[in-house]
Amino acid sequence: MNLEDFSVFRQRASSDGVLFYYTGEFSANVIGAMSDTVRERLEALGTPGRLGRKVFSTFMEMAQNILHYADETACEGGRIGALAVGQEHGKFYVLCGNPVRTDHVERLRARLDPLRRMTLDEIKAAYRDQLRSDTNAGDPISKGAGLGFLTVAREASEPIDYHIVFRADESTHAEFYLRAVI
Amino acid sequence: MENLHIPATKETPEVRLDPGSMSFHLVGESYPENAMAFYAPIRASLQSFLEAPDSARGVQAHFNLRYFNSSSTKLIRALVGMLHQKAAAGVRVIAHWYHDPEDDMMAEFGLDLKEEFDALEFNLVASETA
Repeated sequence: MNLEDFSVFRQRASSDGVLFYYTGEFSANVIGAMSDTVRERLEALGTPGRLGRKVFSTFMEMAQNILHYADETACEGGRIGALAVGQEHGKFYVLCGNPVRTDHVERLRARLDPLRRMTLDEIKAAYRDQLRSDTNAGDPISKGAGLGFLTVAREASEPIDYHIVFRADESTHAEFYLRAVI
Repeated sequence: MENLHIPATKETPEVRLDPGSMSFHLVGESYPENAMAFYAPIRASLQSFLEAPDSARGVQAHFNLRYFNSSSTKLIRALVGMLHQKAAAGVRVIAHWYHDPEDDMMAEFGLDLKEEFDALEFNLVASETA
C-alpha cells in the first residue's frame, strides 16, 4: 500500500466512524491487548456504562469466536481474522471476519438465520433454553456453551447480519463476516 | 478444609472459599479463553467445601461479577446449581448476586437464577462497585 492509498484507507475509516480495527493473528495475548484498547476508546468517548458493556461483550464474543473457530488451515500462521468497532448514526457496530471451511457454512447459516428472524424476547427465551440445556451435544463443532451467537444477538439492538464470501480460486474455504449494531 | 484464595487476573475473577465464615466469593470479570479449565478446579473445591460437616451451619455465597463471557456463563450457573442442591438438602444457603444498577443483563441473569434455583435464599443487590 502506498501512502496515498493509506491516506484513503484512513479517511474511509474515519468517515465510517471506526474506533478500532485489527487484522491478523488472534491469540489470547492479542485479545487481551485489544480488550484494553477497546475499553479505553469507549471510556474516552464517554460511553454510558450499560452501552459500553454491551459493545465490549459483543467485541469479546466475536474475538473469542475467531480464536476458537477461524480455520487455521486457511492461512499459514494460525487463527487469522479481522475485527472492527465503530460508531455510526449514533449507534455502535462491531464487525468481524475470518476464514471458515466451506463445509461448515451450512451450519453457520442454520444457527444465524433463525436468530435474524427472532424478536428480542424470543432471543432471550432461546438463550435461557440453551443455558439450561445440559449439553451442546447436538453440535460436535461447538467448543463453548452454544451461547456465543445468542449472546451477540441479545446485546444487539437490531437483527445481526452475516455475509459469506466464496472465492472462485478457493473451494475449501470461504470468508465469514458478522455484524452487530448496538 | 482450608481456605482457598485465587487472586483475580485480568480475565478471571477472584475466588475465595472461607470455611471460617462458610462463605464463597466470586468477584470480578470472567472471560478466560478456556473457561472449562478455569472453573473445573473451582467446582471441585466448592464441592468439598459443601460436603464439609461445618456447611450444615449454613453457607453464604457472593457473586459480584462485572462481566462474563458466554463460555463462562454455564459454568457460573453450575456453581449456583451446586449451592441450590445443598439448599434443597435442607441447609440454609444465601446467595447474593450483585450487579451494576445500569447493567440490565446482569440483573436479568440473576433474576433467572433466582427463579430457577428456588431453594436458595437469593438476594439481588444493585451495587456500583464490583
